[in-house]
Order: sequence, then C-alpha cells, then structure tokens
Amino acid sequence: MAKIVLEGVDKLFKGKPRPAVESLDLEVEDGEFLVMVGPSGCGKTTTLRMIAGFETPTHGVIRIGGKAMNNVLPKDRNLAMVFQNYALFPHMSVAKNLSFGMKARREPRAKINKDVETIASMLGIDSLLDRKPSELSGGERQRVALGRALLRRPEAFLMDEPLSNLDAALRVQMRLEIKRIHTQFPVTTVYVTHDQVEAMTMADRIALMNAGRLQQTAVPESIYDHPANAFVAGFIGTPKINFFTGTVVRDGGTPRVSFLECSCSVNGSAGAALEKLSSSTVTVGFRPEEIRVAPEGGGRLPTAKCVVEMVEPLGPETNVVARCGDQLFVCRTSARSGLEAGDAVTMEFDTSQMKLFDAESGGSLE
Amino acid sequence: MTALAETVLAEPQDRPKDRPSRRNDRERVRPSTFLWLSPATALLVGLFLIPTGYAIYLGFTNMELLGPYAQHFNFTGMANFNRMVHDPVFWTSVKLTLIFVIGSGIIAQTVLGLALALLGQRVHVTVRASVGAIVILAWVLPEIAVAFIWYAFSQAGGTLSDLVGKSGTDLLSTVPLLIVCVANTWRGTAFSMLILSAGLRSVPEEVDEAAQLEGASYWRRLFRVTLPIMRPTIMVNMLLITIGTISDFTLIYAMTQGGPGTETAILPVYMYIQAFTFNALGYGSAIALALVLIGALLSIVYIRQLRPELKRAQ
Amino acid sequence: MGTAVTAKEVGGETQGVEASQVADVPKGSLVRRTKRQRFILDGIIVLVGLAFILPMLWLLDAAFSNNASQAMSVPQLTFGNFKAAIAAGAGGAIKNSLYLAIVSTFIATVVSILAAYVLSRRRVPLKGAMLIVVLFLTGLPITLLLIPIYVMYVHLGWDNSPFYTSVALAATSVPFAIWLLKNFIDQVPREFEEAAAIEGAGGVRILWRIVIPLATPGIFVAAILTFINSWGAFLLPLVIDANPQNTPGALGIYEFMSANGRVQFGPLSAYAILFSLPVIVLYLISTRWLHGGFAFAGGVKG
Repeated sequence: MAKIVLEGVDKLFKGKPRPAVESLDLEVEDGEFLVMVGPSGCGKTTTLRMIAGFETPTHGVIRIGGKAMNNVLPKDRNLAMVFQNYALFPHMSVAKNLSFGMKARREPRAKINKDVETIASMLGIDSLLDRKPSELSGGERQRVALGRALLRRPEAFLMDEPLSNLDAALRVQMRLEIKRIHTQFPVTTVYVTHDQVEAMTMADRIALMNAGRLQQTAVPESIYDHPANAFVAGFIGTPKINFFTGTVVRDGGTPRVSFLECSCSVNGSAGAALEKLSSSTVTVGFRPEEIRVAPEGGGRLPTAKCVVEMVEPLGPETNVVARCGDQLFVCRTSARSGLEAGDAVTMEFDTSQMKLFDAESGGSLE
Repeated sequence: MTALAETVLAEPQDRPKDRPSRRNDRERVRPSTFLWLSPATALLVGLFLIPTGYAIYLGFTNMELLGPYAQHFNFTGMANFNRMVHDPVFWTSVKLTLIFVIGSGIIAQTVLGLALALLGQRVHVTVRASVGAIVILAWVLPEIAVAFIWYAFSQAGGTLSDLVGKSGTDLLSTVPLLIVCVANTWRGTAFSMLILSAGLRSVPEEVDEAAQLEGASYWRRLFRVTLPIMRPTIMVNMLLITIGTISDFTLIYAMTQGGPGTETAILPVYMYIQAFTFNALGYGSAIALALVLIGALLSIVYIRQLRPELKRAQ
Repeated sequence: MGTAVTAKEVGGETQGVEASQVADVPKGSLVRRTKRQRFILDGIIVLVGLAFILPMLWLLDAAFSNNASQAMSVPQLTFGNFKAAIAAGAGGAIKNSLYLAIVSTFIATVVSILAAYVLSRRRVPLKGAMLIVVLFLTGLPITLLLIPIYVMYVHLGWDNSPFYTSVALAATSVPFAIWLLKNFIDQVPREFEEAAAIEGAGGVRILWRIVIPLATPGIFVAAILTFINSWGAFLLPLVIDANPQNTPGALGIYEFMSANGRVQFGPLSAYAILFSLPVIVLYLISTRWLHGGFAFAGGVKG
C-alpha cells in the first residue's frame, strides 16, 4: 500500500497542440479511494496510464511509495489495473487468467491454487473457474478482472472506467461491490470515470480535470457545495447548475448582485471579493434544488416572474424548465407541482447557497 | 385502436390461413444465373475436375509420352503404385519434399516472418518501411529471376560462397538442398511477414498491458499471451505456405533440375522427370497423386488445429 | 524531496520539472532506455534487410557490368548486357509473356466476376457444395493437372497455342479469384442494387454499372494476382507449348541459362531485370492504389 504523488506532471503528445496533461500536482493518500473524473479528453486516462507506466511524463515526477517511478517499467511498479474492456486473456480459462500473474512471479503452486480459490469464492466466481472469458457475462468478466487485480497484492489499484461497459442496473450493483472490496482491502485506488454519479458515490476524494488541467481536488460534499470554478459547478450535479449573468452594484455599502429581476446583497468573503473585482458582471449560479416556486404572498427570498416552458415528472421529483426574459433555467421541486407548460409562476432563489464566479475566468469568488 | 394500428400490431399467426404450407417466399432461380455461371463452370469442370479424374485414372495405367503405349495404353491396376513403393528415388523425393516444405517453408518463413513482424512493431517507421519494401521485393520477383539470382549467388566465386568463406566451392553442388531452401525462404518470407504482422495488430493492446502489469517479462508475454491469441492466424499462414510450396516447380528445376543426381528432386520435379523425360505419363500421374495426398494430410493437421475457431465462427 | 523544484514555487508561468533536476530520481530515464532499445532493434532489422537485399544488388551490379561474373564488382553502368539480352530473344519472350498474362487475366477476371456475383447474390441450386468445391480447388496443386491437361490438349490440338495456354493459365487462377471476389461482393451493401432494380434496371446493367464499380478494389486485386501468376508461368508453357516462337519470358531465361556452355551472367541479369520490371511496377501501382494494402504497415506500441 502506498501513497501516490504526481509533481508538476506534463504530458505532450506529438502533433497535438494542447498538452494532454498540464502541470498536474496530485497526492493520493495511502489507502484512499480517489476518483479522477472529467469529460472525454480531459487527461484523466492519460494520467492513469502515466501512473501505470504505459506513458512517460514529458515533465514532472511520479512517486509511488515515496520512490520516483519515472524510470521503472510497468511490470516492476507493483500495480494492478482494471481496464475498461477487462483485458482478460481470451485464450485462457478464468482460473488461468487469475493465476497468470502469480505464475509469472514464480510463486509456489500450492499458494497460487489456494489464493485463486479464496478470491474466486469471495467474488462469487468460483463456479466459473474453467470457463473462458467469451463464455462469461459482462458482470462476471468484471469480477474476474477485479479478482486478477486483487491477486496482484499491489501497492495501488488503478481502474480505467471499469463500469462503462455494463448496463445501468449492473453498474449500480458493481459500484457497491467495488466499494465493499475497498473497505475489506483498503488499498490505495485511483479510479477514472466520466460519470459524475460514480464519482460522487464512490470517492473518498474527487479530482476533477478538464482540458488537461486539474480543476479541483476535494471530498464530494465540498466539490458540490464549494466548487472552485464554474466548470466544476457545472460538471457535478444533475440536473446541471443554472448560470445567470449578474450585475454588480457597488454603492458604498455591502455590494449587491442583481440578476433576472432580483437583487440581493452579498456578505462575507464573497462580498469582499466583489469589492475587489474590477468588472461589473459576474456569473451567478443556482442549483436546481435552490430555486423553488415562491410561496403565496412571497417570502424573504428574492423572486422573479417566469413562464413555465416544460414540466418533466421524474417520479419522486419534478424538473420544471422555466423562462424569465431570455434566460432558461431548471428548477427541481419535490412531488407534483401541478404546473403545466405556459403557466406563469413566481420562482424564489435561495441566495444563501448562491455561487458567484468571475465572469471571465470562471473562478469562484468565495 | 384504429384499424391500421391493429393491422400493424397483429401477430403473424393472425393473418388468414390461405397460404400453402410449404415456403413460397424463396427466391426464384433466374435463367441468367446459369448463363453467368457457365463460363466459370466450364473452365473449372474442364480444366480442374475432369483433369483430376483423368489424373486418377491415368495413375492406374501405363500410358507413355511416345512409343507403343502413347495411343494404346493399358489399365495396369496397382502396378504404378507398387513401383512407387519400391522406388528408392520416390522415397528420397518424399523426404526432400517434406524437408523443403516444412523446413524452408513452414518453419523458416514463419519464424523469420514473425521475427520481422515483431521487430517491425518496435523500430522507427522509416526503417520498418524500407526493410519491409526490400523483403517484399524479393517476393514480387518472378520465380525464374529468383532462381537465376541464387544460382549465381551460390556458384564458386559467387557472393554467397565468398561470404561463407568457401570461395572456391560451388555451393549449389555441395549443399544443393540447403541452398534451394535458403532461396525459397528468401523468396517467401514476405508473405508470412505481412500476414503475421496483421495478426499481431489484431491482438488487443490492453491484454498485453494487463500482462505487463502482472510482472510478466517480454518473452513470457510473447509465448503465453500474444502467440496463443494469434494461433488461428499462424495456422492459416502455415496452411497457405504448405499449399503454395508443395507444388513449387520452377525454383528448383531452374536452379538444379533436381540434381545433382537426385539430391533436390522434390516430388513435382520428380514427377516431371518421370513423365516428360522418361516418358512415363502413367507413373508420373501416380507420383502426382502421392503429392496431393501428402499435401492433403498436412492440410488436415492445420484444419484440425483451427477447428475450435471455425466452430465458434459458425 | 530535497532540492526538487515544484511547479508551485515557480512564479507566474507554471513550468514542468525536468526529471533530471529532481535530486533523488535515479539516472537513466525510462524514455532513454526505450530509445536505446529501439536503436538496437533498428540495427537488427537493418541487418536482416541487408541480407535480403544483397542478392538483388548483385543482380543490378551484374546487369550493368561488362564481363559480369558471379562475383560482385564495380559496375561500369553500360547497357551492353541489355542489348545482348534482347538479341538473345528477350524482347520476343516478354511480348509472349505479355500476351499470356493479359489474355489469361482478362478471361479469369470476367469469368470470376460473373460467377462471384451470382454466388454472392442469386439463389443457386447446390450453392453450398459449389462454394466448398471452389475453396478446395484453390488448394489443388497444378502438378496433378499437368499430365491430364497435356494429354487433353494434345488430343484436342490445343497445344502450341498461346491462346489455349492462356485459357489454362486463367483456369488455374479462377478458383481463388472467385473466392476473393465473392467475399468482396458480399460486403457491398445490397441497397444499391435494389434501388437500381426498382428503377427498372436489368441484371446486366446492374452488374455493369453498379456492382462492378463498387467492387473495383477487389477486382483490381484479383486481376493483379492473376497477372503476376501468369506472368511468371513456367511449368505449364514448358509442357503444353513447344513452339519456340511462343516461349514466354520465364522459359526464355531458363533456356538462356542452360545454353551456350558458359552462363552469361551479364546478359542474363539484364534479361532478368527486364522480365521483372513489369511485375514490380504493377506491385507499386497496386500498393499506391490500395493505400498500402500490401505494404508492411505496422502499429508501433505505446
């Protein structure tokens, strides 16, 4: 088990103008389950492959267990990887697939057999030991791939979108299973996915990347409640956060932000940031659950008059797409709203959760 | 529900039962089909099937090129085959054929082709392209040109003799089978190189990476993972090499005419000599039949190796 | 971490850290090691390449040298050998080879396209059996057919005829061509033919205007392979055509080799080069045409 550290890692590919990974500094604590998440092309898989040793950093150092690994071949790094397509040896039985690594490391046969059986029964695949991968279902192949990784007794696990090839129901089940295994074997794990739900539910910490750069590293709650920039705010959370253009009003006292028809004052550190800001526009963000239908007679929260464009009933919740002026936004209400397309409605905005971002750089103003 | 919806949603068995019980949804055979097939059929029947039958028949006769048995030959039963079994030159020829096909064909070309394919993956692009072009050029040259080049190359005073340090010896006379095998390998390697490098590319990279992470060395990965996955390709390659090499005539005949003596008289050459130099058409046919039999036996070996893959493809 | 310079410490522009700058990173980077490996492998494959090219270099050397021998020497770059080759009959022989190759390719291609199309698209009684027979015939050695064809040809008076020799050569390539073309046509979507049929086009028109243009790469490959096969024909012409005026290039070279006592390496090399050129040119054209279908295209790891 080991701590993984990436210092100043860059990766440039020939012929590609933008670096695949740029100035990456990341620390994965011993035993931590870190999820790297981001849209396709953000560099998360490239980073994982650099940790594994299949790519070499253009600049920077990668350390595993304190030792620099830049010059070490993948086979000597003592890591285990679960690939997106499982990479099971198609011509070998499940048992041979599981024992391949131990045989390659010349471990005694009795130990190999015992360990294979133990892991197989733990993962529920002991009845499949004589089958070939082509005879297994997706979930079964997944478990064999996990089993092979566990038998490696590695310093760290690397997982490259292992659940993307499974159907939705199986994915939920395997998410739990992977976490369960991690509780039982708390090995440092770097898990790559493009699915933010997987990230939120599985991670001890999330590392969010975009266009080769690390955007934010934090525990899931922090990423959700205190996104470092507009991109992070927009990536995490379904339905997506609503962004509005806000105008800053500075008239000596507490600065105010006005958006749509509302205006509210901003206190605290955000207020201080607003004071320092030279521009007069900001981006204001509200998550769908922070916008609600205003109660009769209004309340203390700022409101805006809108027209309902569409209602999407989801069972326990309803998404209401509303328009105010030329801005569209989504609000999430519980249960049935009784609204229909075309209704005029007044929405209130929970400004205690309001997020402010620099209109140009996207950085958070908290 | 509307009438249209009902029609659309109706199960097949809801349709009225006025169809006859046999399938009448089969395509008709169009007359032009036969017309278009006829030239190919004529050629294949006339120049393949009938000659094959005739060859089998001739094997049991004593027909000759010239002389009394040219026009009025007799059916001689197993005489030719008897003669074959007791003919020491025949058995030498069989041995030589096997050495030629298996040694310089299957083993040498596959190993060299595989080595080139593996190397080709890991060298610079220009190097790979240039060496590839050279190897392929050797393959594209007409067989007679290859025969001539290697004839000259291995003469006394030729470059090969010089390189090996035996300038004065006519290598083609001293080690004819070896030279002929080398020439054949030189000529044929490109084929294996192309097929095996395509096969290599079809091995998913992830599988090899997984094996790397397991700590397996290069050779272990090659022999336990890569090559086993490539087995069908390798088998097909060997089958094609066998089929191509076993009836090879020009190279050896042009270089040595089967000699010196009978040292390079593989079966096709021996057959030609018996049929057209010694006039024995019947006996020559028998030899040809033996050749086909050997080829078929070898092919069966590979096809049996390929059976699991073929079954899965069905 | 000693004196490592990290990205954060460098103000303003972020800069990466060179691995060599960091104190405790051992020397000999993985990248450098793999680069060195690559050069060694380069060397090995180049050696193999040299071994392969040596005989061909001799041929070039001999063709352009006066008094060429089996040894290598500095060529004088004369064309005398080529003149001598033509005097020895190279021109006529190559013309004969051209006839045989072109006619046999034409016959084989036409016959195979028709058959392959029918086998691919139409209902044919006993189609399965036919396909198996065709497949087996691709592996049948012509050594078996040689004697019967000779006997048949003599009987029919078809011997000593370039045309009928071409027919025989075509036949030897037809099974493989049918198999190749059928598989190729199988891949062409049927929608085009169905659209044409709805427009009222008949079978021949559909074949000529739609299927053949779409199947051109496959047809090209089949034609080229047949051409190359027939160009180098040796055994068949040797047996069924004794007329010296019909001698094709391969036989011509062989006869030249075994004539006149001493082997004339110079003219023979020129002859061999002249005879090989068309095939080499064809190969180059086909690789360009097929975007390197035959080329040794590999995928570099990593």
